[in-house]
Amino acid sequence: MKKTLRQMRPVYVAGIGLHRYQRMSDTPYVTLGLTAIREAIADAKIEWRNVESGYTGTAFIGMAASRPMLRHLGATGIAIAQVENASASGSTAVRQACLDVASGLTDVSLAVGVDKPGPIAGAPGKTNIHDLVGRRVVPFTHFALLANEYMNRYGATAEEVAMVAVKNNRNGANNPYAQRQKAVTLDEVLAGPPISGSLTRLQCCPVGEGAAAVIVVSDDAIDKLGIDRSRAIRVTASVSRSERVYRGAKNFDAELTRETVAQAYDEAQISPQELDVVELHDAFTIEELLYVEAMGLCGEGEGARMITSGAVDIGGKCAISASGGLLAMGHPIGPTGTGQVAEIARQLRGEAGVRQQPNARTGLAHMVGVGAVCVVHVLQKDS
Amino acid sequence: MSENASPPTELFSAAAEPELNGRRCRACGYVFFPPQSYGCEYCGAPGDQLEPKALRGAGALASFATVHLHQGKDMEAPFTVGVIVLDDGPAVRAILTQRTDEGLKIGERMRAVIVETNSEGARARELRFRREETAR
Ligand SMILES: [Zn+2]
Repeated sequence: MKKTLRQMRPVYVAGIGLHRYQRMSDTPYVTLGLTAIREAIADAKIEWRNVESGYTGTAFIGMAASRPMLRHLGATGIAIAQVENASASGSTAVRQACLDVASGLTDVSLAVGVDKPGPIAGAPGKTNIHDLVGRRVVPFTHFALLANEYMNRYGATAEEVAMVAVKNNRNGANNPYAQRQKAVTLDEVLAGPPISGSLTRLQCCPVGEGAAAVIVVSDDAIDKLGIDRSRAIRVTASVSRSERVYRGAKNFDAELTRETVAQAYDEAQISPQELDVVELHDAFTIEELLYVEAMGLCGEGEGARMITSGAVDIGGKCAISASGGLLAMGHPIGPTGTGQVAEIARQLRGEAGVRQQPNARTGLAHMVGVGAVCVVHVLQKDS
Repeated sequence: MSENASPPTELFSAAAEPELNGRRCRACGYVFFPPQSYGCEYCGAPGDQLEPKALRGAGALASFATVHLHQGKDMEAPFTVGVIVLDDGPAVRAILTQRTDEGLKIGERMRAVIVETNSEGARARELRFRREETAR
């Protein structure tokens, strides 16, 4: 019989660590990754030799990225693999680590996301299927087209869409790991430079380098290694889906998210009203509006009002992208999804400092990969 | 190129009233563009079940965006991309003949036209769309 993650052995996030997301530099990926992993190990108060498997989420570094990095922690002989799932690579690495622990194959597993932007071409361009626009439509234009359609359908304004960047940059200004750590005004966002359609530069996420690590453990490991149970955050759903043909649907991106999130709610046995914190795929401002609706946090067409009402600010009903999101924290691809899970765990522990959402107990991390895939994790603080 | 690589498929017919070379799945009826012969995305029927289906180059504008930043040398920004829901079913993305989105309205009628391009010394023909009122 099929089982959900929640029906398997409980899995907990016990350690989190990051290397700041930043503009491309000459820092080797090994340094980025080791910084995040060492921080996560120290956070869990365990030792590297306790880690039994490791998944490296990365899209651009190249083949066999794990061993050249992990060996410097002491080559213990653990199972390792690279995980590539476009923007959801780091989320998928977390999922693989969770599955190892949930199944009982390991008691302690590592998911690390690490990346540096590189010239590797994606496989979707190698199918020999051509369309009328080719590379003239890149992701920012894809989302500019969705923004145009959304604004026309619901009467939302360009200013309302741009407010997502104001909110998320305000949050990112308080995140030492964020690539953009500066609050911006609506006028600054709208002032440009224009990129595509109504999207301006600050409405598009920066793609840089960085790393994020998450250590997941079993109950046995918590007992055996003396891990602080009060800081361990349970993963109650881990769902991964890919796009179907949504005949008649207005928007495939939103539809894939709607399906994946619905499955995650079902598996975690929660309703959207219970969410206190959400990290979602806000690579472009319009996405946050589409996804808050697809997640059922508000009704269809109410996304813009939801953002501007303050309901998704830190301190509001559900803080969305308290980290700054992809728009401010940045989107180094491999690390992004892992970093989201780290932020949710930090929030549910109550350790997010000035970014803390009060009394956060239930959180969700959501990533979309251009593949097109969607990966969603639900994390909950044991009551 | 390996011998089993599938050759590029012509995307459109270069007639006076150009048509798009879509495909229709014999097994489930799914009509799609761009053409491919790998298999049906909707029902999984193999490529031999995918038959040619000409799609008239006429439809309604569902969305548009003027691209201000473009790194490729094939085209100079600004240019405008539109989503056109063809009368024959599929929605397609195409470059519009007008450089900016001036005057465009969602829902208005669009018509396919063939445009001669000359990028990096290579002459080519592209299918683009323009507003029906300016097509007259
Ligand atoms: Zn079919």
